[in-house]
Amino acid sequence: MISGLELDLRLRQRQFALEVRCTTKVRTLGVHGASGSGKTSLLEAIAGWRRPAQGRLVVGGAVLHDSASGIDLPPEQRGIGYVPQDALLWPHWNVGRNLRVGARRLDAAGEELLARTAAMLDIAPLLERGVGGLSGGERQRVSLARALVGRPRLLMLDEPLAALDAPLRRRILAYLLRVRDELRVPILFVSHDASEVQAMCDEVLVLRAGRVVAQGEPSLVLRAGVEPQASFDNVLAGHVVALEDGVALLELEGGGQARVPQRGLALDRRVVFAVHSDEILLARGATGRISARNRLQARVERVVEVGGALRIDARLDARGSGALLSATLTRAAVEELGLAAGTPVECVFKATACRVWNAVD
Amino acid sequence: MDAGDLFEVLATTLRVAACALFLAAPCGIAAGWWLARKDFRGKSVVETLLAMPLVLPPVAVGYLLLALFARDGWLGERALGFDPGILFTWKGAVLASAAMALPLVARTARAAFDGVDPRLERMARTAGLTPWRVSWCVTLPLARRGLAAACVLGFGRALGEFGATVVVAGNIPGRTQTIALAIFSEIQLGDTQAALRLVAIVAGLAFVLMWSVEKLQRAAAREGR
Repeated sequence: MISGLELDLRLRQRQFALEVRCTTKVRTLGVHGASGSGKTSLLEAIAGWRRPAQGRLVVGGAVLHDSASGIDLPPEQRGIGYVPQDALLWPHWNVGRNLRVGARRLDAAGEELLARTAAMLDIAPLLERGVGGLSGGERQRVSLARALVGRPRLLMLDEPLAALDAPLRRRILAYLLRVRDELRVPILFVSHDASEVQAMCDEVLVLRAGRVVAQGEPSLVLRAGVEPQASFDNVLAGHVVALEDGVALLELEGGGQARVPQRGLALDRRVVFAVHSDEILLARGATGRISARNRLQARVERVVEVGGALRIDARLDARGSGALLSATLTRAAVEELGLAAGTPVECVFKATACRVWNAVD
Repeated sequence: MDAGDLFEVLATTLRVAACALFLAAPCGIAAGWWLARKDFRGKSVVETLLAMPLVLPPVAVGYLLLALFARDGWLGERALGFDPGILFTWKGAVLASAAMALPLVARTARAAFDGVDPRLERMARTAGLTPWRVSWCVTLPLARRGLAAACVLGFGRALGEFGATVVVAGNIPGRTQTIALAIFSEIQLGDTQAALRLVAIVAGLAFVLMWSVEKLQRAAAREGR
């Protein structure tokens, strides 16, 4: 738990002012916004890199900064694990010494944590290597491991996937989800990518020009968006309840079932996957036999018009407790089906259209 | 000049240059760090003052030192209450060489520190190191090649120093006569053979020094990429 992250920071710089106020109790808080919205400045202010910041910062009950009472812990006493966009590994140390922050050995507990972390992130074979020859994904994992070995009270990830190509991004996201689910470290996750935020975060802050413009449950906040989009990457989560030929059947969180590519998934595993709104068909009435493996019952919640296209947000499972699923349709299609808020529909998509994110292969 | 004299000149030269570097390196590296990492009012004035010996006639710098350490100077016998024993001794040669080497060391050291990404230092703080440990474990090791280049340049500058040295320390064979002063003496005496021999030696030394500076700076640039 970020058992109470209390953020009230004001930072004035030459051409930019940051003013962020937020209180949350969730374990993974996302910070979303376009580039230049102040995401990195916020993290650097929390880390104590940018001064003088005004306001108050409390993480897990510890006051790191409080300008009213003159508290301003230096960076080395803040207990923050920071994974910046460019990993920032020290080039004169090998991977092992980067993880030990220069020390040759840690105490027994530290070495054990290091070994566990290295195993979890698959970097144990890299420990003796120099950092110069690491690939982008390896650098990110080493940077993440370094942050974790410091036993942070808060882990801050700044666009950890931005510099990576798509296959690597999926792979690193799988590691991040594993860290989130297995270590239960409070995380502040910065990303401009809505689907990454949905996959990782329980709650999201949307920043614009240094200010919070929205805060709440990611799938709702990001769908509403500062500037709504017709296309949307739906991110869903569920547990594997059955394995069929090359396909895993998931019981979705909130109700409903979906089939995704199996890709080494085991029974009972929690799975996060994405399916893009362009990949979803909506049907009304009997659709007969169809090759698509997913046919989910839903009810239209709203129709959002952006430019010439329409986005239909439908809530899965007629009881109304399920996840939202968005589909992008043309106006003609919406009119022909007579879609409006409250219309029951069937959401149809292929299992292979689902991108499973937390399969570490 | 016989072999014994030559040996004496070389020994004085190396001793003076080494001691000058011993003085100039810590001050120059500290000044370089300060200029690279701190912002303060009047920084450009400090930078200019520090760079001035690079373009001032060395004789002028020497004369300033002479005035400073003269009997009635700010650091002379009357002000201190004892004779600091600087003028016309090998210590004077060291001081003059150090004064001329300092700006070069400071500028090169500053460039070396500028080449270290300050975010690597901040990351080390966030990872738990105190500012001193960060300087020791991150900044200095990352700047080491540039700093080594600064020291070699400073040593080279001290090795060839003439103008300031001759004013502060004189040209006393066996005591303050370095190789640059010896060349001057041989030319004055009309012994061109001896002068050329000394020029060849000093040219050889200069080649080795500048070659190592090039090597170090190239390696530093490679590491910085």
